[in-house]
Amino acid sequence: MVAVALLGAITHQTLATWAPAQARPGSFFGRFRAVASAPYANAIVVLYAVSALLGGIVYLYFRIDIGPDLERAGHWQILGLFDIKEHFISIGLALLPAYWVCWRQPRAGELARTRATLTSILAFIVWWGFLIGHVVNNIRGFGA
Amino acid sequence: MRSSHAFRSFAFAYGTAFAVLYVVALKLDLALFTVYPSLGVVLLGTHHSRDVAGPSMAFLAPAMYWYGWTATAALGALMFGFIAALLPERWTRRIWPGWLWVVPALAMIACVYLTLPWFRL
Repeated sequence: MVAVALLGAITHQTLATWAPAQARPGSFFGRFRAVASAPYANAIVVLYAVSALLGGIVYLYFRIDIGPDLERAGHWQILGLFDIKEHFISIGLALLPAYWVCWRQPRAGELARTRATLTSILAFIVWWGFLIGHVVNNIRGFGA
Repeated sequence: MRSSHAFRSFAFAYGTAFAVLYVVALKLDLALFTVYPSLGVVLLGTHHSRDVAGPSMAFLAPAMYWYGWTATAALGALMFGFIAALLPERWTRRIWPGWLWVVPALAMIACVYLTLPWFRL
Protein backbone atom coordinates (compact mmCIF):
# COMPACT_ATOMS: atom_id res chain seq x y z
CA MET A 1 0.00 0.00 0.00
CA VAL A 2 2.83 2.38 0.91
CA ALA A 3 4.60 1.64 -2.37
CA VAL A 4 1.43 2.16 -4.42
CA ALA A 5 0.72 5.47 -2.67
CA LEU A 6 4.31 6.55 -3.33
CA LEU A 7 4.02 5.51 -6.97
CA GLY A 8 0.86 7.57 -7.43
CA ALA A 9 2.21 10.65 -5.66
CA ILE A 10 5.58 10.77 -7.41
CA THR A 11 4.07 10.06 -10.84
CA HIS A 12 1.53 12.85 -10.40
CA GLN A 13 4.17 15.30 -9.20
CA THR A 14 6.55 14.45 -12.05
CA LEU A 15 3.89 14.86 -14.74
CA ALA A 16 2.69 18.11 -13.17
CA THR A 17 6.26 19.42 -13.07
CA TRP A 18 6.97 18.70 -16.74
CA ALA A 19 3.51 19.48 -18.09
CA PRO A 20 3.57 22.43 -20.50
CA ALA A 21 2.82 25.72 -18.71
CA GLN A 22 0.46 26.79 -21.50
CA ALA A 23 -1.54 23.58 -21.41
CA ARG A 24 -5.13 24.03 -22.54
CA PRO A 25 -7.48 24.30 -19.52
CA GLY A 26 -9.57 21.16 -19.22
CA SER A 27 -7.00 19.07 -21.13
CA PHE A 28 -5.18 16.15 -19.52
CA PHE A 29 -2.02 18.19 -18.84
CA GLY A 30 -4.08 21.24 -17.96
CA ARG A 31 -5.69 19.32 -15.11
CA PHE A 32 -2.29 18.10 -13.93
CA ARG A 33 -1.01 21.66 -13.96
CA ALA A 34 -4.02 22.88 -11.98
CA VAL A 35 -3.23 20.62 -8.99
CA ALA A 36 -0.56 22.05 -6.69
CA SER A 37 2.32 19.57 -6.73
CA ALA A 38 4.41 21.10 -3.92
CA PRO A 39 2.30 19.64 -1.07
CA TYR A 40 3.10 16.16 -2.41
CA ALA A 41 6.75 16.59 -1.42
CA ASN A 42 6.31 15.92 2.30
CA ALA A 43 4.19 12.84 1.63
CA ILE A 44 6.70 11.56 -0.93
CA VAL A 45 9.62 11.95 1.49
CA VAL A 46 7.77 10.04 4.22
CA LEU A 47 6.44 7.35 1.85
CA TYR A 48 9.85 6.83 0.22
CA ALA A 49 11.57 6.54 3.62
CA VAL A 50 8.95 4.09 4.93
CA SER A 51 9.05 2.05 1.69
CA ALA A 52 12.85 1.86 1.85
CA LEU A 53 12.72 0.81 5.51
CA LEU A 54 10.10 -1.89 4.88
CA GLY A 55 11.97 -2.99 1.75
CA GLY A 56 15.17 -3.24 3.78
CA ILE A 57 13.44 -5.56 6.25
CA VAL A 58 11.79 -7.70 3.55
CA TYR A 59 15.16 -7.93 1.75
CA LEU A 60 16.53 -10.01 4.65
CA TYR A 61 13.87 -12.68 3.99
CA PHE A 62 14.36 -12.40 0.24
CA ARG A 63 18.07 -13.19 0.65
CA ILE A 64 17.33 -16.30 2.69
CA ASP A 65 14.20 -17.68 1.02
CA ILE A 66 14.26 -16.53 -2.60
CA GLY A 67 17.81 -15.41 -3.48
CA PRO A 68 19.47 -18.85 -3.19
CA ASP A 69 16.68 -20.44 -5.27
CA LEU A 70 17.20 -17.88 -8.03
CA GLU A 71 20.95 -18.52 -7.92
CA ARG A 72 20.50 -22.28 -8.18
CA ALA A 73 18.06 -21.79 -11.06
CA GLY A 74 20.57 -19.54 -12.84
CA HIS A 75 18.40 -16.42 -12.94
CA TRP A 76 21.50 -14.19 -12.88
CA GLN A 77 19.94 -11.43 -14.97
CA ILE A 78 17.05 -11.10 -12.55
CA LEU A 79 19.48 -10.96 -9.63
CA GLY A 80 21.44 -8.30 -11.49
CA LEU A 81 18.32 -6.22 -12.05
CA PHE A 82 17.49 -6.61 -8.37
CA ASP A 83 20.99 -5.44 -7.41
CA ILE A 84 20.52 -2.35 -9.58
CA LYS A 85 17.25 -1.69 -7.76
CA GLU A 86 19.06 -1.80 -4.40
CA HIS A 87 21.69 0.67 -5.61
CA PHE A 88 19.12 3.07 -7.03
CA ILE A 89 17.03 3.00 -3.86
CA SER A 90 20.05 3.90 -1.70
CA ILE A 91 20.97 6.81 -3.98
CA GLY A 92 17.35 7.98 -4.00
CA LEU A 93 17.14 7.80 -0.22
CA ALA A 94 20.16 10.08 0.12
CA LEU A 95 18.58 12.58 -2.29
CA LEU A 96 15.45 13.03 -0.18
CA PRO A 97 16.75 15.93 1.99
CA ALA A 98 17.81 17.88 -1.12
CA TYR A 99 14.55 17.05 -2.87
CA TRP A 100 12.63 18.33 0.16
CA VAL A 101 14.66 21.57 0.23
CA CYS A 102 14.01 22.14 -3.49
CA TRP A 103 10.24 21.75 -3.04
CA ARG A 104 10.10 23.89 0.13
CA GLN A 105 10.74 27.04 -1.86
CA PRO A 106 7.48 28.32 -3.35
CA ARG A 107 9.23 29.80 -6.36
CA ALA A 108 12.19 27.62 -7.15
CA GLY A 109 13.92 30.20 -9.38
CA GLU A 110 17.41 28.93 -10.09
CA LEU A 111 16.43 25.58 -8.62
CA ALA A 112 13.49 25.00 -10.99
CA ARG A 113 15.40 22.76 -13.39
CA THR A 114 17.17 20.94 -10.54
CA ARG A 115 13.87 20.37 -8.77
CA ALA A 116 12.20 18.99 -11.88
CA THR A 117 15.10 16.69 -12.74
CA LEU A 118 15.50 15.49 -9.17
CA THR A 119 11.79 14.65 -9.06
CA SER A 120 12.13 12.73 -12.33
CA ILE A 121 15.12 10.77 -11.02
CA LEU A 122 13.16 9.80 -7.91
CA ALA A 123 10.16 8.84 -10.07
CA PHE A 124 12.41 6.65 -12.23
CA ILE A 125 13.84 4.97 -9.11
CA VAL A 126 10.38 4.34 -7.65
CA TRP A 127 9.06 2.89 -10.93
CA TRP A 128 12.18 0.74 -11.38
CA GLY A 129 11.83 -0.60 -7.84
CA PHE A 130 8.15 -1.30 -8.33
CA LEU A 131 8.54 -3.10 -11.66
CA ILE A 132 11.62 -5.14 -10.75
CA GLY A 133 10.08 -6.01 -7.41
CA HIS A 134 7.08 -7.42 -9.25
CA VAL A 135 9.20 -9.35 -11.75
CA VAL A 136 11.20 -10.96 -8.94
CA ASN A 137 8.05 -11.65 -6.99
CA ASN A 138 6.47 -13.41 -9.97
CA ILE A 139 9.52 -15.23 -11.28
CA ARG A 140 8.99 -18.28 -9.13
CA GLY A 141 5.91 -18.95 -11.24
CA PHE A 142 7.88 -18.93 -14.52
CA GLY A 143 8.10 -22.34 -16.15
CA ALA A 144 5.85 -23.89 -13.53
CA MET B 1 17.84 32.25 7.73
CA ARG B 2 21.28 30.96 8.62
CA SER B 3 19.92 27.58 9.70
CA SER B 4 17.89 27.35 6.48
CA HIS B 5 21.00 27.99 4.41
CA ALA B 6 23.03 25.53 6.48
CA PHE B 7 20.45 22.77 5.98
CA ARG B 8 20.28 23.46 2.26
CA SER B 9 24.07 23.20 2.00
CA PHE B 10 24.05 20.04 4.09
CA ALA B 11 21.28 18.43 2.01
CA PHE B 12 22.90 19.25 -1.33
CA ALA B 13 26.35 18.11 -0.25
CA TYR B 14 24.99 14.96 1.40
CA GLY B 15 23.02 13.82 -1.65
CA THR B 16 25.88 14.47 -4.04
CA ALA B 17 28.61 12.99 -1.84
CA PHE B 18 26.53 9.92 -1.05
CA ALA B 19 26.14 9.10 -4.75
CA VAL B 20 29.90 9.28 -5.32
CA LEU B 21 30.80 7.40 -2.15
CA TYR B 22 28.24 4.69 -2.82
CA VAL B 23 29.86 3.93 -6.18
CA VAL B 24 33.29 3.91 -4.49
CA ALA B 25 32.01 1.57 -1.76
CA LEU B 26 30.45 -0.71 -4.38
CA LYS B 27 33.52 -0.77 -6.61
CA LEU B 28 36.01 -1.32 -3.78
CA ASP B 29 33.60 -3.53 -1.81
CA LEU B 30 33.85 -1.33 1.27
CA ALA B 31 30.92 -2.43 3.39
CA LEU B 32 30.90 -1.00 6.90
CA PHE B 33 29.40 -4.29 8.05
CA THR B 34 28.32 -7.63 6.57
CA VAL B 35 24.96 -9.18 7.41
CA TYR B 36 24.37 -12.95 7.49
CA PRO B 37 20.57 -13.08 7.70
CA SER B 38 20.27 -16.87 7.98
CA LEU B 39 22.64 -16.87 10.96
CA GLY B 40 21.41 -13.62 12.46
CA VAL B 41 24.99 -12.37 12.54
CA VAL B 42 26.38 -8.93 11.72
CA LEU B 43 30.15 -8.62 11.33
CA LEU B 44 32.03 -5.35 11.18
CA GLY B 45 33.70 -4.82 7.79
CA THR B 46 33.46 -6.76 4.54
CA HIS B 47 33.52 -10.53 4.88
CA HIS B 48 33.21 -13.07 2.12
CA SER B 49 32.06 -16.59 2.90
CA ARG B 50 34.68 -17.99 0.55
CA ASP B 51 37.41 -16.40 2.65
CA VAL B 52 36.84 -18.88 5.44
CA ALA B 53 35.09 -21.90 3.98
CA GLY B 54 34.14 -23.73 0.80
CA PRO B 55 32.20 -22.03 -2.01
CA SER B 56 29.01 -23.85 -0.96
CA MET B 57 28.97 -21.70 2.18
CA ALA B 58 27.72 -18.84 0.05
CA PHE B 59 24.50 -20.78 -0.45
CA LEU B 60 24.23 -21.97 3.14
CA ALA B 61 24.99 -18.60 4.73
CA PRO B 62 24.36 -15.87 2.16
CA ALA B 63 26.10 -12.63 3.00
CA MET B 64 24.53 -9.21 2.43
CA TYR B 65 26.65 -6.18 1.70
CA TRP B 66 24.03 -3.64 0.58
CA TYR B 67 23.37 -2.41 4.11
CA GLY B 68 27.11 -2.06 4.68
CA TRP B 69 27.74 -0.19 1.42
CA THR B 70 24.88 2.17 2.22
CA ALA B 71 26.19 2.74 5.74
CA THR B 72 29.72 3.42 4.42
CA ALA B 73 28.44 5.99 1.93
CA ALA B 74 26.06 7.56 4.47
CA LEU B 75 28.84 7.98 7.04
CA GLY B 76 31.19 9.59 4.53
CA ALA B 77 28.44 11.79 3.09
CA LEU B 78 27.51 12.99 6.58
CA MET B 79 31.02 14.37 6.97
CA PHE B 80 30.80 16.20 3.63
CA GLY B 81 27.35 17.47 4.59
CA PHE B 82 28.48 18.86 7.93
CA ILE B 83 31.50 20.55 6.34
CA ALA B 84 29.26 22.11 3.65
CA ALA B 85 26.85 23.36 6.32
CA LEU B 86 29.71 25.29 7.94
CA LEU B 87 30.77 27.03 4.74
CA PRO B 88 29.70 30.65 4.24
CA GLU B 89 26.72 31.25 1.94
CA ARG B 90 28.72 33.30 -0.57
CA TRP B 91 30.85 30.23 -1.28
CA THR B 92 28.09 27.65 -1.61
CA ARG B 93 25.88 29.92 -3.76
CA ARG B 94 28.53 29.82 -6.47
CA ILE B 95 28.21 26.05 -6.88
CA TRP B 96 26.02 25.02 -9.80
CA PRO B 97 22.88 23.32 -8.34
CA GLY B 98 22.74 21.02 -11.36
CA TRP B 99 25.47 18.88 -9.76
CA LEU B 100 22.73 17.68 -7.46
CA TRP B 101 21.17 15.63 -10.25
CA VAL B 102 24.13 15.21 -12.62
CA VAL B 103 26.27 13.39 -10.04
CA PRO B 104 23.54 10.95 -8.86
CA ALA B 105 22.55 10.27 -12.48
CA LEU B 106 26.18 9.42 -13.32
CA ALA B 107 26.40 7.33 -10.15
CA MET B 108 23.34 5.35 -11.23
CA ILE B 109 24.94 4.67 -14.61
CA ALA B 110 28.13 3.58 -12.81
CA CYS B 111 26.08 1.24 -10.61
CA VAL B 112 24.57 -0.35 -13.73
CA TYR B 113 28.06 -0.72 -15.23
CA LEU B 114 29.37 -2.36 -12.03
CA THR B 115 26.42 -4.78 -12.06
CA LEU B 116 26.99 -5.86 -15.68
CA PRO B 117 28.96 -9.01 -14.68
CA TRP B 118 25.65 -10.50 -13.46
CA PHE B 119 24.38 -10.37 -17.03
CA ARG B 120 27.38 -12.25 -18.43
CA LEU B 121 26.95 -15.32 -16.23
